[in-house]
Amino acid sequence: MSTASSTEHAAASHGHEHPKWLAHHFDSPAQQFDTAKLGMWIFICTEILMFGGLFVAYAIFRGQEPQMFHQAHEHLNWRLGAVNTIVLLFSSLTAALAVRQSQVGDRKGTSRYLVLTLLCAFGFLCIKYLEYTAKLDHGLLPGRCFGHPWFGDHCVGGGAAVLPAAVHGLSTRAHMFFAIYFMMTGLHGVHVLVGIGVLSWVLKRNMRGDFSKGYFTAVEIGALYWHLVDLVWIYLFPLLYLVG
Amino acid sequence: MSTHTNDSHDQAHGEDHEEWDVHAHISDTKFLVGIFSALIVLTILTVAVSRVDLGSANTFVAMLVATVKAGLVATFFMHLRHEKPFNTVIFISAFVFLGIFIFFTLDDLTTRGRIDPSNGVSVYARNGEIAPGGFTPIVTPEHGAAGEHGAAAAGHEAPAAGHGAPAAPAHH
Repeated sequence: MSTASSTEHAAASHGHEHPKWLAHHFDSPAQQFDTAKLGMWIFICTEILMFGGLFVAYAIFRGQEPQMFHQAHEHLNWRLGAVNTIVLLFSSLTAALAVRQSQVGDRKGTSRYLVLTLLCAFGFLCIKYLEYTAKLDHGLLPGRCFGHPWFGDHCVGGGAAVLPAAVHGLSTRAHMFFAIYFMMTGLHGVHVLVGIGVLSWVLKRNMRGDFSKGYFTAVEIGALYWHLVDLVWIYLFPLLYLVG
Repeated sequence: MSTHTNDSHDQAHGEDHEEWDVHAHISDTKFLVGIFSALIVLTILTVAVSRVDLGSANTFVAMLVATVKAGLVATFFMHLRHEKPFNTVIFISAFVFLGIFIFFTLDDLTTRGRIDPSNGVSVYARNGEIAPGGFTPIVTPEHGAAGEHGAAAAGHEAPAAGHGAPAAPAHH
């Protein structure tokens, strides 16, 4: 909208010359910002629907075998799940604060909160690693070794008809619960990894000085992605760790 | 921005068009920390409620608390409160379509047996094992007998139409 003809007075008074980050197909920074957010919300929509398929699978199998779900969920460590919930909620707070600091033009503050968010993301994955390895050791990974430690010597033959002591009391059908558990938390874990990548990129750009009070789109959009990761976990925690 | 007299932009303001500069709402730090505290309290609440046996209400309460938490995150951390309403419409629409997905899938699976009793069962008649992909059948005496033999029979109740539910003896 403001072209070369207006630049001589624009720079002096109200700064309507095109900033270098304003793509030329947008009228204004505000329009560009709103468009980016609109696109992100539509993407969030598709993400919810992607997880939706797994939530439907969960609903079907839990509806059919509620007792099996209850028995199997007791093999998950709800304390670690709760700690991870708090870690993710805290990282969501620091992501929101990073956006806030970016809005007020505090570059160092933005970096600090982004680093905190990233540390929480790694912390989440470390706890997830502890949980996954414990499940593998207990022979709870679905598949041909179900019922036998994944790294043990007894991972032979197909479909364990009798479960060993480690999973004693579980129905052989419990592999369905753990299939759903690993798929849901696994897909979520992939999102955590992608979130780490996105936030690292935002951090790098922030340290380079790309952002200002008038332009912090990537911080906002990156934080929206991270909040989505938090949103999904908010549902996963009670559904998987606290089966009634 | 405040003092300029550029005609086109003043007109734009008058017609309630978009502003030139980005004017996103800036949340207060203390307020965001307050929301985080509320989320922690709700997390503790959801764990506490799961220790109390409320029957089928447990899942409902857990989902209610999770939805309140998700609402807080979306409204304040994700700024929907100060966002264009259309973004909220998009976000809510995801849950509407998810609801359609879940409702019709479960409706199909839980009522199919009423139309065709032989079209899938939740418990194999031959050994009482749970049939993968099965669902609640119309209750017949044979099914009832089989269910009692099953060590790991389905725990769910037969549809309202069913009398003498075979699933009942399996609770242990």
